[in-house]
Parts: sequence; structure tokens; C-alpha cells
Amino acid sequence: MVTIRTAKPQDLMNMQHCNLLCLPENYQMKYYFYHGLSWPQLSFVAEDSKKRIVGYVLAKMEEESEEVPHGHITSLAVQRSHRRLGIAQKLMDQASRAMIESFNTKYVSLHVRKSNRAALNLYTNTLKFKINEIEPKYYADGEDAYAMRRDLVEFSKLHDIAPAFAPSFFDCKGKGSGDDHHHHHNHD
Amino acid sequence: MSANPSLPNNRTLPPKEYALFKRILKCYEHKLYKNGLKFAKQILGNGQFAEHAETLAMKGLILNALGRREEAYEYVRRGLRNDLKSHTCWHVYGLLQRSERKYDEAIKCYRNALKWDSANVQILRELSIVQVHTRDLVGYRDTRNTLFQLKPAHRASWIGLAMSYHLLKDYDMSFKILDAFSKTLTIRDSYDYEKSELLLYQSAILEESGDLQSAKKFLLDHERDIYDKYTFHESICRLYLNLGEYGRAEAGYRKLLSMNQEDGAYYEGLAKAMQIADDPAAKLQLYRNVERQYPRAYLPKRLPLDCAEGEEFLTYLRPYLAAALDKGTPSLFTDIKPMYQNPAKVIQIGNLVESMANSLRDYGKFSKDDEKVASASALLWTYYYLAQHYDYHRDTDTALAYIEKAIEHTPTLIELFMCKGRIYKHMGDMNTAAQWMDEARELDTADRFINSKSAKYQLRANRVEAAAAVCGKFTREGASPMENLNEMQCMWFQTECALAYQRLGQLGDALKKCHEVDRHFTEIIDDQYDFHSYCLRKMTLRSYMELLRLEDVLRAHPFYFKAARCAIEVYIHLYDHPLQNKSADEQISPVVEAVFSDISIIYVTYAFQADRRHFHF
Ligand SMILES: CC(C)(COP(=O)(O)OP(=O)(O)OC[C@H]1O[C@@H](n2cnc3c(N)ncnc32)[C@H](O)[C@@H]1OP(=O)(O)O)[C@@H](O)C(=O)NCCC(=O)NCCS
Repeated sequence: MVTIRTAKPQDLMNMQHCNLLCLPENYQMKYYFYHGLSWPQLSFVAEDSKKRIVGYVLAKMEEESEEVPHGHITSLAVQRSHRRLGIAQKLMDQASRAMIESFNTKYVSLHVRKSNRAALNLYTNTLKFKINEIEPKYYADGEDAYAMRRDLVEFSKLHDIAPAFAPSFFDCKGKGSGDDHHHHHNHD
Repeated sequence: MSANPSLPNNRTLPPKEYALFKRILKCYEHKLYKNGLKFAKQILGNGQFAEHAETLAMKGLILNALGRREEAYEYVRRGLRNDLKSHTCWHVYGLLQRSERKYDEAIKCYRNALKWDSANVQILRELSIVQVHTRDLVGYRDTRNTLFQLKPAHRASWIGLAMSYHLLKDYDMSFKILDAFSKTLTIRDSYDYEKSELLLYQSAILEESGDLQSAKKFLLDHERDIYDKYTFHESICRLYLNLGEYGRAEAGYRKLLSMNQEDGAYYEGLAKAMQIADDPAAKLQLYRNVERQYPRAYLPKRLPLDCAEGEEFLTYLRPYLAAALDKGTPSLFTDIKPMYQNPAKVIQIGNLVESMANSLRDYGKFSKDDEKVASASALLWTYYYLAQHYDYHRDTDTALAYIEKAIEHTPTLIELFMCKGRIYKHMGDMNTAAQWMDEARELDTADRFINSKSAKYQLRANRVEAAAAVCGKFTREGASPMENLNEMQCMWFQTECALAYQRLGQLGDALKKCHEVDRHFTEIIDDQYDFHSYCLRKMTLRSYMELLRLEDVLRAHPFYFKAARCAIEVYIHLYDHPLQNKSADEQISPVVEAVFSDISIIYVTYAFQADRRHFHF
């Protein structure tokens, strides 16, 4: 029996473990903390009845770049023993929902290896990501990446998800959604 | 950032040199260390200022950043000796100590610095961070109070003060501070993520204080401004339940189910809200209703298996298994396994799957009388299930017979070889087990999961080199796999290595791996450091609080327990059997006596914390 829920700080170490088992792109704990403490809504885990993390999606907001702030999937994996149950799809849909509800996000991006057939199938056919560009030699071993994007405005309409701030979310595509994110307070 | 030393009083340097000194600080801040040293030299080179305290201290700090630790201490101490009344020198000395995690020492230095400049905000901030990092909570509160008085216009002053009271469980004070603070904010009509986080933090404080009514009211009053919908609804549902407002709780859980049908906790909450938690028949009805509403959801199909019994159990089990076997679901056995706690269900499951196997073999259907013909691979998955079923009962011969039948049916399915390996593992034949796991790995060399499994089995067979080589196919090129795995904090590997070395009698190597794991934990505890100020800015205060609580018991994690246990066993063994012969392990023997009293006691304490029940020698 598998439960899908928001990732808490207590889950981050077990997510790292799951990542180390499943993927060659690994990160130190601090990077997981950075995700969990910057955007606590965006990452999700799949947990089995013994409370083991069998799948996760680690997600963030891309706020620094020149583009409109948008969501980004840092890492996604499901343990082999639990694949083809729809877990990855559900994790990705939850992360997308949270991006819309908490951050008014209009699209989410990710990178995937050209040779990763399972993931490409999932992104293209099931989740309706589109290839945005090819990034040559993106991976450490020299493999190219597809940079892909999923339109969350469409997704929100399909699933009846209310965005954080409708006026800028629904205004003409790809523009202006970011204006409301950056307001600065007087800080430390 | 805040880790930069503060400007000294302009006491001893003439304007030109003072300007140079300021440039040193800038260089340090921007990590332009070479330039920093150059400016320091310009000041110190002038005989008149050769012993200028603060310049010497800064030179030391830069040397420390360059990894020249000993010289760093020399210069900083020399600077300090030259002017014991310089807050800058004390501040620098504190930063130096802090960089080595000598937090108590750092606190002393900051306090000395404050003696000479009691209103120095930079030093006070540093101090407060070290205080919360080391959980000197009273000290933290006092420092935050001082900061608040000095900088009442800063947002972080309010938040930090409130948090310091919260950490001391003074909920009332904490809430009042935040309440007063939010009144100072200008009201924005549109989306404000940080405010949303702050509101949720405030409601969490109320809830923790036990004032559930106020927490509920607060959440409802601010619903519009909260953008974390899961946290909002989960909190309000929990409050309704605890306040006995069942009708509202039920509506809330139904709302949550509409957002995510795959969280088991929502079904539990819903059953409690409907007051049917102890009524299996009513729960089954509930699951049926939810399934009708969300036909594609998985949990409403799976949950009935936990609460139905006897004949009714079979009516749920049959279609569930048939669907999974028909599609081919590798995880089916793990999914069903929790039910093996129930002896009656085990027999029902075993009989049913056996009969399915027979019908599939003879008629190509799950049951002779079915209309529908099963998929071509259904029989294969049924054999695979039965192999695991018999393996669970340690009926190895039957398990192996079934897995052979499955392999005969489809010789290329990785899961089958993994299963075969697992059966041999359960027999205690690790060599054969590792062999089959590696066979599986070779069928899909692009999948790291099977690669990891194969490496783990190699380690169980005490083949450390082979395991490292297998892992090496996925670690960074150019680095040794062991080093890369250590850098990536790959603890499962390091712990399995330690255990293999322990079995091989290579006790020094075993301890080395255990200590690597221990160091990861130290590092992860240290990772908090930057978040103390970061989260104040980001406003992610609930998550920050959870982080602090997590770090407080971090070493209770099973990963730590396993490594600590290995280390303890090795240390005890070495204590009972001191190394006699001057052999390869010689180098560790002098260490043993020394560390035994020290490190292993720490391990024992942590391991006991981690799990009292399972700990025995
Ligand atoms: C890619 C991965 C996350 C998919 O996880 P999953 O939980 O098995 O995926 P889902 O069950 O949600 O799959 C949904 C759909 O994606 C497609 N898909 C998933 N795995 C597939 C595979 N191996 N081959 C072809 N299509 C596949 C299918 O269309 C599938 O629907 P279906 O099962 O009804 O046919 C998983 O295989 C994995 O963790 N791989 C290793 C890590 C990795 O590559 N991560 C992605 C890095 S960008």
C-alpha cells in the first residue's frame, strides 16, 4: 500500500537514499534541505506501509534566472520494485498542483537524458511535457538532455485547480506571471 | 553576509590605512583573499603599524579561509594580544572558532567582543545564530531581545524574537509578538506567499499551545490569504477532529480527497470524522463510495483488503489480484505482504493464487468459469508471486521451483532473477545470491536501482572490491567509486561495507567506514547553520522548526543505528580481544583503548536513543 503526500523535512534523508539507489545524479543533504526549506509545498514522497520512501519528486522554483519565475523538477525517481503503478505520474501531478496553488506557476521545466525511454514516455505521453530545446552534453558523462516544459495553465483548467493569483495567472500566456513574486521586505 | 567581521573603532589607524583596512574587509566578504592579503601587507609593512591588532586578526581570518589553519590562529591570537579591547579582534577570533565548530569557544569570543561594543548588531546576530545552533535557547531569547531593541524596524527582529519564545514553549508571548508584527504590515490585496507562511506559522503556535479553538478561528479568518492548501486543510481537519466537530471534519477530509486520493491518512481521518473507525462494514461502504467517485484511484481498491475478513475478504482479494497479475505488477507481493500477519488471510491468499495458477495454466483464465481471457504474461506473474509467497514461508524448494517455471516462461525478466537471488539470500547462500543479482544487473545496465541491489548483494557476500566496481559504473568518472560515494553521503553502501569488513575481520577498515557514516551525521547537523538566518528571510518558519526538531534527534535515524551498532561491536571485540600480533591491523590497536571510553560511549548512547528495544549485545 502506497501513500502519496507532501515531503516533510524528516523525509529528506530518506529521499536522498532513494535518489542514491535510483539515479546517477546525486546531491548532498544540504541541497535537499535547501529545497525543503525554500519551497516546502513542492516536493512529494511515495511511502509504503512500512514507512519506507519508495519514490519522490524533488522540486523547486526557478527564481533567479531572467525568465519568468517557473517551477523546476530537480529530481524524480521511483524504486524499481514499485514502478508502473502510476506513482511517478501522481507525484508529478501533485508537484504541479502545488506550484500553481502556492506559487502561481505557469509552467514547469525539467531535464531528461535523451536515452531515458521510460522517463521520456512518462513526460511526453502521460504528462504532456513538450521538448523545449536540446542541451548538448548536459550530463556529467557527456549525454545530451532534452529540456522539457509542461504548461500548467492548461493543467489547472483540466483539473480545476485555483491558482494563487488568478489575474496574472490567466493573462496572456508566458508573460507577466512573475511580477507578483518579487516583493522585498526589510530584512536581516 | 552576516559572517563578516565588523568595522573596528577608528582608534589606531590614520585615514589612509583605515581605508586600506576597510578594503580588507570587502575583499574577505567577496572571497578575494589574495587581494585581502595584499592590503594587509601594505598596512603591516609600514613599521609603525606592523603590530596593528585588527589587521593581524583579519590576515589570520583570510589565511583560515585559504586553509592555512595554524598560521591563522597565530595571527588572530597575536592581533588579540596586541589589543584585548578590540571588539573586531574578538569577533574575528569567534569566527575562527566557529569555522571549526568550536561553538562554545565562539560564544565566549562574541561575548568578549560585546563587552567592548555592546550594541554591535552584526556580532549580536552571529551570537544569536550560534546560540540557536547549539540550542542555548535562553541565551538565544536574550540576544534576540537585545537585537529587537536595537533594530525594531527590521522584520527579522520581530520574527526572530517570536521564534525564540516559541522555542522556549512560551506560546503566548510568541503569538503576541507575531500578532503585533502583522499589524505593522501594509495590507496587500494580491498574492503574498510570505504572509501565507507566517499565518500558518502563527496557527501552528496556537495549536501547539493547546488552544485549539483559537487556532481554528485563526485559520478560518485567514483562509483567503493562505496559499498552502494542503497544510491549511490538513490543519483545519485535525482541529475539527480534536474539537469533536465531526461534520465539518468530514467535509474537510472529502475536500482533501478531491485534491489527492492517494494519501492513506485522509481515509483514516475521514473514518474518524464519520465515527466509523471501528466499524469495518461501514468503512467498506465508504471505500466503495469513494471508488465510485474516483474510479482511477488506487487506495479505495486496496484499503478494503485490510478491513474485510473471511468470505468478504475473498470477494475483494480476487479482483484485486487478478487485475494486478493481469497487468504485471512487480510490487504486488510487497503490497500484499502486510496481510501475512493475519494467519487466516495467508491461507486464503495462498490457496487463491495457487488456484489461479492452475486455471491460467489449463484455461488461460484466472478461473475456469471466467469469460475473460487473461493476458499472455498473467501466468508468469502468478508464478512470480508464488515464488515470493513460498520464499516468505522459507519453503525454499517450492519457491525455487516456481521461479524456475517463471524464468522458463520468460527468460529476460529482471525481476525474476532478483527474486531468485533473494531466495538464495534467505537460504544464507550469499555467493549464489550475489551471482543471480548480478545476472539481473547485466540485463539492464542502464538502471541504477538494479546496479545498487547487485552491489549490496556483493557486499553481503563480503566482496567489497567487486561491489565498489559495480557501483563505479554510476559514480563520477575520474574519481574512485568509494570516494565519490562518500562525498555523496551514500550511507547504505558505507554501512554494508563496514559490516562486510567486520565479517572479514578487517576491523580497522570496518571502523573507518563507521566513522565515515558518523561524519555524515555531524555534517548534516552542521548543515542547519546557514538556515538559521535563511529561513527568517524566506519566512518558511514551520519547516525551519521541523528542521530544528529533526536535527535534535538526527542520530536516532536507522542509518545511524546500524553503523553505530557495528562500531560498538567492533570496539567491544577489540576491548575483549586486544590485538596481540603486530599484523596489518596494528595501526588501530593504540587507538582502540583511547577511543573505547570516548567514542563508543557516545555511540552506545545514540544507539540506545535510536532504538531501545532492539539493542542487545
Ligand atoms: C521514470 C520513472 C520515474 C517512472 O516511474 P513509474 O512510477 O514507474 O511511472 P508511472 O507508473 O507513473 O508511469 C506512468 C506512465 O509513464 C510511462 N512509462 C513509465 N515507465 C515506462 C517504461 N519503463 N517504459 C515505457 N513507458 C513507461 C507509461 O506510459 C506509464 O503508464 P502505464 O504504466 O499505464 O503504461 C521510473 O522508471 C524511475 O524512477 N526510473 C529511474 C529514475 C529516472 O529515470 N528518473 C527520471 C529522471 S529525469
